[in-house]
Amino acid sequence: MTGFKLDRRAMIRGLGGVAIALPWLEIMGEARAQATGPAKRFIAVYTPGGTVRDRWLPTGTESDFVLSPILSPLEAVKHRLLVLDGVEMRSAQGEQHQAGICALLTGTPQDGNFDNYAGGPSIDQVIATRISRGIKQHASLYMAVRWATGNSRGLLSPINATVFEDNASCAPIPPRLDPVAIFNSLFAGGPGADLVAQRERLARKRSILDYVDRRYDNLAKRLGVADRAKLDAHLTKVREIERGIQVQEDALGEQCAAPARVDTSDYKHDIGSTFEGATDAAIPKVGRYMIDMMVTAMACDLTGVGVFQWTDTEAKHTFPWLGLREHHHYYQHDGGYRPAELERIYQWYAQQHAYLLESMEAVDMGGHSLLQESVVFFGSELQEPPSHSKRNMPFLLAGGGGGLRGGRFVRYDNRSHNDLLVSMLNLFGDARTSFGRDEFCDGPIGRLT
Amino acid sequence: MGSRRFLYVALATASLWGCTGTIGDTGPSLLGEASLLPQTIRAPLRRLTRREYDNTVRDLLGDTTSPARALPSEELGNGFGNDAGSLSMSTLLAEQYATVAEDIATRATATPAALERWAPCVASASPASEEACTRATLTSFLPLAFRRPVEPDEIDELVLLQQDVRDGGTYASSMAAVLEAILQAPDFLYRVELGEPDPERNDRRRLTPYEMATRLSYLFWGTTPPPQLRALARDDGLRTPEQVRAQAALMLEDAQARPMVRTFFNGLLPIAALGDVHRDHDLFPRFSTSIAGLMKQETELFAEHVIFDGEGDWVTLMTAPYTLVNEQLAAYYGMSGISGGAFAKMPVDSTKRRGILLQGGVMTGTTHANTTSPVARGAYVMRKMMCVNIPLPPSELADLVTPPPPYSGTTARDRFSQHSADPVCAACHQLMDPVGFTLENFDAVGMWRDQENGATIDASGKLPGYEEGVGGPVDLVNAIAASDEGPACFTKQWLSFAYGRTFDTRDKGTLQAVTSAFAAGGYDIKDLILAFTQTDTFLYLPQDPE
Repeated sequence: MTGFKLDRRAMIRGLGGVAIALPWLEIMGEARAQATGPAKRFIAVYTPGGTVRDRWLPTGTESDFVLSPILSPLEAVKHRLLVLDGVEMRSAQGEQHQAGICALLTGTPQDGNFDNYAGGPSIDQVIATRISRGIKQHASLYMAVRWATGNSRGLLSPINATVFEDNASCAPIPPRLDPVAIFNSLFAGGPGADLVAQRERLARKRSILDYVDRRYDNLAKRLGVADRAKLDAHLTKVREIERGIQVQEDALGEQCAAPARVDTSDYKHDIGSTFEGATDAAIPKVGRYMIDMMVTAMACDLTGVGVFQWTDTEAKHTFPWLGLREHHHYYQHDGGYRPAELERIYQWYAQQHAYLLESMEAVDMGGHSLLQESVVFFGSELQEPPSHSKRNMPFLLAGGGGGLRGGRFVRYDNRSHNDLLVSMLNLFGDARTSFGRDEFCDGPIGRLT
Repeated sequence: MGSRRFLYVALATASLWGCTGTIGDTGPSLLGEASLLPQTIRAPLRRLTRREYDNTVRDLLGDTTSPARALPSEELGNGFGNDAGSLSMSTLLAEQYATVAEDIATRATATPAALERWAPCVASASPASEEACTRATLTSFLPLAFRRPVEPDEIDELVLLQQDVRDGGTYASSMAAVLEAILQAPDFLYRVELGEPDPERNDRRRLTPYEMATRLSYLFWGTTPPPQLRALARDDGLRTPEQVRAQAALMLEDAQARPMVRTFFNGLLPIAALGDVHRDHDLFPRFSTSIAGLMKQETELFAEHVIFDGEGDWVTLMTAPYTLVNEQLAAYYGMSGISGGAFAKMPVDSTKRRGILLQGGVMTGTTHANTTSPVARGAYVMRKMMCVNIPLPPSELADLVTPPPPYSGTTARDRFSQHSADPVCAACHQLMDPVGFTLENFDAVGMWRDQENGATIDASGKLPGYEEGVGGPVDLVNAIAASDEGPACFTKQWLSFAYGRTFDTRDKGTLQAVTSAFAAGGYDIKDLILAFTQTDTFLYLPQDPE
């Protein structure tokens, strides 16, 4: 992998501002080789409250279509984009919003009761097990902006849980929230750091985790089955970190450039839904910073899988940069359905998604772009706020990984979104034919490649 | 209430969409079946919550920085955030345990003053005396961190770690690594209960005295056992139920038990996020987040007052003709006769408000926007005060039903009239709406109103399961206070909180026994809390771990 490393580093250094992306695209786009084989990266993006359907739906045919007002910011990456229509989230059974977010990546219902989570793993974690876990420094990265607002009171709840452990039932994963901590976790000891000091630091961490590992192992053996399972689950995570350290040791001296640090001292990541002017005003900055870190982590091969979550289903924060003083849920239905304000919010999310995709397109992974080797899913927990319907979900795919073929508006005839999830898995070389709860599966949805 | 009928009977006729005869986990047996013997239910392995972690490092190391704020949040679980059954383990959590431990250890070894507290011999140790210093430090610290006596090989293991990381750094930094390791060990992060044989009975095990000290300490004070509990454990003074109760009673009277009560009510009542509540300023010009924050304090202080300083009983908690307010909050409610920022007891107009449920905080906290929702309020009361499980709406309905726009109709009763007109909706909504309608005299910011949009509010409704109508909010809380489900539900909520797990059907016997004792003792809440230390589930472990 030495042949293109320098080039890749040079490219990445430009990240952190979207302005760099377009000229490169024009110069280099045609020359790139297609990425071949299974997809190498997966990113899922969650946005709350669905969309305004008649302002979202493109017009035209599969290959010749015009993006809608809400999706218009994605024009520059339209050739990598698949707009999907006619997909129904049948497995989203339960509370209107909660069931939607629980099912989005799992294809399982919120069984039985309020307060219950999804019943199975999310596809990002399944993909992570296949391509990332134990292979890369981080099995996956799950980040959220302005998370656990409103009634979740800062707790991990079905109102905000999107990601669920692989090989475990009903085990939600908390997102990373603190941009400073994310930077330190990913890029501390970046270029310029003293190699000897880094090696010592990693060795020290390893010695400590050795001890921790032994304690869990020994104690687990003395406990009953249920408690042992808990310590074993903890030990599994300790070992995942130990493997990550080993990968990091092997790669010492090979780091590529970190994004520039951004001052986020005006952003409080743990304040729930407080209408905190400065924090809400900082959302665009923090969101882009996290996107930069996510893209760089992929470009530097620190991980293969990421989930990026804009707030949660409560969405109880304001949009001061759009001049919107009420929270998102207010415009959805708490204050009556307000499609004009919602359109501006959804279009803003589309702009941020364009930033992510353009940034990925600007990274050269050795003859093809990062976006070309990736599959990027963009979704929400419902179609439109007034009905909370789960039909015709406003889903997008982008990238080129596993042969995903962009530049298309694909209309399905009311297919279950479980079938979309399994087709996404197929892009990563996973040959299964169903994913999530069986009763919602009719086989791969097709037409992605 | 004279002609009561059990809820499951009332519901048996309304079974279209699953709202059949289930009343929560307790089921009809809570009230209708023969008594079940209390069982010993094994406590699942509990991990320190963020609050407990912070208190623990504060007491062990004097670290008052609340470092656990950097840990990911707990799962909602039983509603109190301490549900051992639902705590899952993520890579992020393991990673943050390491990061937080590193920060704490750095602070504990950063200055001579800090070292003096944690490991006084480190500053003056020579190469030749380092091992002795490491051993001395661990001999005093490790039993505190692990909350039990330790074996020599547990110290040896850490001495080896210290020596392993000694190269290239200072002695103090190698000791920091030792502390980092201890803070990530399962013996520290988890409350391990292995128990020991019970000489009296071979069909169960008893807790070791140190395990009992740990149970008591985390339940009442949310922290690691203090010196007096450790001394009792050492002297075998936490063996009998009487010894345990006596110690529990002492701890409950201490000011350090107040946060336990606050934590419980913040889990039970929708007040935890009040400081985050936002309402349209044009509609509610007198309301602000600072008023909402005062409402949260009102409810917390009221509960503490009733339990510790006042009548002490649950019926008063539900129906007291007074509250606690300060000048600013009193002015908001339109009360007078108090000045200053301190909260004091004040009588309320008891034809309009009584008890904890009708305080501004709960009425605001059960409203999610600028208009009230009888559905949300009714569901809240039935789920949390009556422990009735409201089934989720079936997905077949989602496409058929659009919730009414919040500004349609004149009153909330108009907006939600379809619920009673349509039998499909009524099957479940008869459980919620008639309760919520009785609270319609309180607006979205907890203020009394007689009219909505110029129409007089009809606050009549019904407590499901009871035939008599309910005429308004005060009638509702009186009906709950007189019901069988109310105190049983309060007991069940305490059981979940005190045992740090979700109610298990095998707890029915215990619940029934404690509920009966609660009633017999005039619903004294402190007695109820102490009763949870006297059950087989608290005092013993089952013979066979699950």
